[in-house]
Amino acid sequence: MKHFWSFLFFLVPVLGVATFVFAPHFNIWLPRDISEQGRTIDSLFMFILYLTGAVFIVTESVLFYFVWKYDGKSNEQPVLFSHGSHALELVWTIIPAVTLLFIAIYQMQAWAAIKMDPPPISYTCEVTGRQFNWDFRYPGPDNELYTLDDIVRTDGKLYLPVNEEILLKITSGDVLHSFFLPNLRVKQDVVPGMAQKMWFKGKKTGGYDIVCAELCGWGHYKMKGRVFFLPRNEYDAKLAEFSAEQNTMRVEVPEEE
Amino acid sequence: MSTFKNNNEFGSRLMNHGLRTICLVSSLVALNLAGCDFHAPQFHLNMVQMLSDATPTPKPYQEQIADVLDGMFGTPDEPFALPETGLDIRKLKMSAGPAWTDKKGAAFGLYRQHCVHCHGIDGDGQGPTALFLNPYPRDYRQGVYKFKSTYNPAKPTDEDLQRVLINGIPGSAMPSFSLLASAEIESLVEYVKYLSFRGQMETALTNYVYNDLGEEEITDEIGEPVLDDEGEPVTKLIPLDPENDEEQRTAITEMLAEIVEGWNEANEQIIVPEEDAIPTDVENLKALAASAAKGRELFYGTRANCMKCHGPTGLGDGQQDDFDIWNKAHKQFLDSVADGSGEPQLATEREEVAASLYPIRNAIPRNLRNGIYRGGNRRIDLFWRIYAGIAGSPMPGSGPASPGAQGTLTEEEMWNIVDYVLSLPYEDASRPQRALPINTELVN
Repeated sequence: MKHFWSFLFFLVPVLGVATFVFAPHFNIWLPRDISEQGRTIDSLFMFILYLTGAVFIVTESVLFYFVWKYDGKSNEQPVLFSHGSHALELVWTIIPAVTLLFIAIYQMQAWAAIKMDPPPISYTCEVTGRQFNWDFRYPGPDNELYTLDDIVRTDGKLYLPVNEEILLKITSGDVLHSFFLPNLRVKQDVVPGMAQKMWFKGKKTGGYDIVCAELCGWGHYKMKGRVFFLPRNEYDAKLAEFSAEQNTMRVEVPEEE
Repeated sequence: MSTFKNNNEFGSRLMNHGLRTICLVSSLVALNLAGCDFHAPQFHLNMVQMLSDATPTPKPYQEQIADVLDGMFGTPDEPFALPETGLDIRKLKMSAGPAWTDKKGAAFGLYRQHCVHCHGIDGDGQGPTALFLNPYPRDYRQGVYKFKSTYNPAKPTDEDLQRVLINGIPGSAMPSFSLLASAEIESLVEYVKYLSFRGQMETALTNYVYNDLGEEEITDEIGEPVLDDEGEPVTKLIPLDPENDEEQRTAITEMLAEIVEGWNEANEQIIVPEEDAIPTDVENLKALAASAAKGRELFYGTRANCMKCHGPTGLGDGQQDDFDIWNKAHKQFLDSVADGSGEPQLATEREEVAASLYPIRNAIPRNLRNGIYRGGNRRIDLFWRIYAGIAGSPMPGSGPASPGAQGTLTEEEMWNIVDYVLSLPYEDASRPQRALPINTELVN
């Protein structure tokens, strides 16, 4: 076949575009968004995806055309070298530069909202990543961390009130981790020795994944947890239950069968 | 035209070359897969025990013990439990064998999926990742567990083991498995118990062989000892063969019954705090402070003497030159190998085993100012630690060692220490240093 290689390489962009076109139909698209700021993030994502997608299709088509047209097997003319076109180079430098600058400015507000302006509230919970578990420390009834009534949970299940502003303190017990809530579109690297902040609002009750998004060792793949959004009254009841559990001083001896 | 043809030839040669490379690579992969001949995992003997000074076990006996254990407990892929053990074979089969998932989505081979890389196929705490962990993963084979609700020498209850699986062990590499289904957790608990039963049976058999079997003089038909050329009686090893030896079978059945009994009576060994000693006003900060002050006296006093190990500051900087039982066993073995004592014919084997052991680690007393409690952070967890101590570690119990015995401290005093220990992380001295301004600027 005459143009075997050019067609073979053209398969790469074709399959690449096909992946994105068909992914939503096979349910391998973005996880369900339950957050407030998620829509902004997702629309930014889609905007950049369409923009880069269009550029991708155009450049790949041109690439295919060149590979096809100047196929070595069918090229009977001596090869010519030229310096190129100064005007053309200016065009393909300035247009992407302007586009990138536009994206940088366009997304600034979204970035500031999730990374720069924490809400002026006290911490809802402290999250500590350690190899390979997520530990949680709730401030307890006095709403202050590191006091005697703190509730410490190590079972990897985080409970939060729904439809309320949440401020988390993210710390590490050992190495780099990344606290990632895919359904809330927030992700924060966990740096040993630093206290990071993360804030969001969950809009739907239910349980969602917590994953570690920074390779932190051999057990990274299993560093999972679950975040549960509960209505305020259930959340209060849950914390009261945890507090009581921490103060357990009696034991129920199982009955002999 | 000729150039064109040449080009074409070159092109097809190139393509052939490419095809050849692909074939070569894929056949290499295939060879590798087929060539790595896969053995089903087997249980191994506890060689430290087999070659120790206390119970040196000759090779034939090692094989016979392995055979008996195989008959009683099966293999990692095909576990077996005698009805006497009370183990649920269906639960065991869920955790045993290679990891796979059936069509309905039920997971099997849970132990190998979640536990084996640290705790090892034998449950010896020497899986491939164990070397990198501090503390080392638990060796189940002694049946000794640290974090439990029972008296020090007693076995843990199923609930104790489940609690460890659900909460993990903060401060160690043991993560939480709370996201597993409760049936899966129950199955893993059953499998851990199975590995303990097996390990304890191995120890019992080794001791039995050492104490009750051994060399026997060969006699002829009329009962006279057979003598060799030098006039010494000829001896042979009495084989461990419970299948054909009624006496041995009875002895082994009794040993198993004793092991199973220890586990079955765990529920009767739970430490239940006395109702009238339980503090009633833990929510009252003043009462708590008063109780903690009493606890502080005890902490530094000679009766409880927590200070000896946990240090005058509570940082765990007291005496640190003791070992837990697992490291102690290895240390004794390594020391005896270094001495060159013991059976000379076992010397090379002993050296090989010694070289395979991980470095010995001291038992480091807990830093009580971190607020990290390995055995759980409920008040009752801390009470149990103080009451029963920590089995296998140098931490002694302050309560009675068994129901009805006399303890060092009263329960009220132990609750005082619980209050003091719980307040330690929140003393000013425990507060972490404030972050440098440059950091806070970045954060805020």
